[in-house]
Amino acid sequence: MDFTLTDEQQLLVDNVRELMQRENWEAYFAECDRSHTYPERWVKALCDLGFDLIMLPEEHGGLDLGLVTLTAVYEELGRWGAPTYVLYQLPCFDTILREGKPAQIDKVLAYVGTGKQIWNSACTEPGAGSDVGSLQTNYVRRDGKIYLNGHKTFITSSAHVPYLVVMARNAEDSTCFTEFFLDMSLPGVRVEPLDKLGLRMDSCSDVYFDNVELDESDIFGREGNGFNRGIKDFDFERFLVAASDYGVAISAFEDAARYANVRVQFGKPIGRFQLNQLKFTEMAIKLTAMKNMVYEAAWHYDTDEMTSTQAAMCKYYCVNAAFEVVDDAMQVMAGVGVAGDHRIQRIWRDLRVDRVSGGTDEMMILTVAKGVLRAYAN
Amino acid sequence: MRIIACIKAAPDDADIVVGADRALDLSRAAWKVGSYDLNAIEAARRLADQAGGEVVGLTLGGEELANSKLRKDALSRGLDALVIVPGSADADSFQTASALASAIGGLGGYDLVVLGAGSSDRYAQQVGNQLGALLGVPTLNGVNSIAVESDHVRVERLLEDAEQVIDVALPAVVSVTSGINVPRIAGMRDILAAGKKPVTEASAPMPAASTRLVSLLAPEQVDRRRTVVEGDPAETAAQLATFLKSL
Repeated sequence: MDFTLTDEQQLLVDNVRELMQRENWEAYFAECDRSHTYPERWVKALCDLGFDLIMLPEEHGGLDLGLVTLTAVYEELGRWGAPTYVLYQLPCFDTILREGKPAQIDKVLAYVGTGKQIWNSACTEPGAGSDVGSLQTNYVRRDGKIYLNGHKTFITSSAHVPYLVVMARNAEDSTCFTEFFLDMSLPGVRVEPLDKLGLRMDSCSDVYFDNVELDESDIFGREGNGFNRGIKDFDFERFLVAASDYGVAISAFEDAARYANVRVQFGKPIGRFQLNQLKFTEMAIKLTAMKNMVYEAAWHYDTDEMTSTQAAMCKYYCVNAAFEVVDDAMQVMAGVGVAGDHRIQRIWRDLRVDRVSGGTDEMMILTVAKGVLRAYAN
Repeated sequence: MRIIACIKAAPDDADIVVGADRALDLSRAAWKVGSYDLNAIEAARRLADQAGGEVVGLTLGGEELANSKLRKDALSRGLDALVIVPGSADADSFQTASALASAIGGLGGYDLVVLGAGSSDRYAQQVGNQLGALLGVPTLNGVNSIAVESDHVRVERLLEDAEQVIDVALPAVVSVTSGINVPRIAGMRDILAAGKKPVTEASAPMPAASTRLVSLLAPEQVDRRRTVVEGDPAETAAQLATFLKSL
């Protein structure tokens, strides 16, 4: 399999590197992380290079360059320790274009090139985490209007997105799940931000709906298809988490490798001690395995199809392997890694959250096992 | 307005390895458009966008210019077309200026030639001035600002303690400073468009070398002196001044 990048892909990666070299972005990221702020200036700079056009089809003004191209960009950004986890909305226009009504599509595409947060979907509730189907948020029709009531929790980006796609159950038919394209400025919508261990440059909030008045035109996709829609698009989100975590693991690995070559103890660089050499060997193997796995999945996405099994496998493996790489890198860097304000602390916290966020490890295992065993059924 | 931006590919200095004998190992350094040349392309692009017209890139070099990625990189930064003069990156300043002047003669007219402060490898800062002399047109270096004004350009040059403002008749040759602008980073749309822009070759005669390369070595490394100035701001300023005068 040939993963050689084209001239154009290489130039895009080179130019992303140039953007990251031009200023000390790490100081900006550290401040955004401290203050729970979305790094909009950085995202805008990426959009100026066309980042949000990579996965956007040409008929909508995009460049349709494919997931391998996006993966190469994530890899380079990760090498710089950049918070690629905040970028997930920009390659995800497919959901909106496939399911959205023309007016909803227009509202979302108006944000292309701005670097601003646009939308996210909201499934999780206090009583419905991995078990999405047990959600209680409901809608009811009355006098030609639709009224939404309920409580969503741990909703990523919800403090600042203008739109949220909310999954709810029909109050009169509990088997009917429908999504609504919700304007967050409507009366009855209340957002309460939560503090969070990692991924702090993106918000995470409780969202309450108190008799939010909606129209039939606010339905997202087809009534009754909400559950299937939500499940289908989990795969892409899982892949993005894997690519993001693989990328930032590179930054921790490179920081640790440079450090191990110059930090002298007992008269020699600590990289010469076999206990550390084992760590670097394991780290390098994991990085290589992650790289092959995400590029292969991306290649499948571009050429035939990325399966749910592949996406879940990528997320489960990369989230854990990346965390182990960063944890080993932190051990090599010792005091420098845990005291002060080295970026590896931020990355370590972020990766720990990813074992939960976007689907828990346990749900990934269920999906992968089901997929691989199904191939041998009968 | 027709503007010619002269550029030179050079090995990426970030990947040049200096040996213990101070010799330079270029084997791992990829060739790329000189960093000062990016200022020339940017200045030319902005002028063309402001006044209307096109920017033609002109470069002289060897087989490194066959690299399609390098060509697309240059074209994506704001050139409308690229003209390659077969030769060698090792040509001296006069050889280069002579070949460029001859090639420009075959390009069918121009209003302005823009160069960077110097090449990324030799940085002799000679080609611009020699090229202007060979073409017999007004020539200025150290240009920190250019604006099109009807039939001429107004340029600003930073002198030691003054700023010189000059109206220059066209056609002209100017070498710009690295501070004249911040070159754009090409976006994906520009990168994709670069592959569709015309690249042509233009042979040009080159005179015999007028200089001889005796050796090429990295500067000798000097140990840090580790002189630290301490105290309140007034004291440290005085200490620093005394130290600098003693050098």
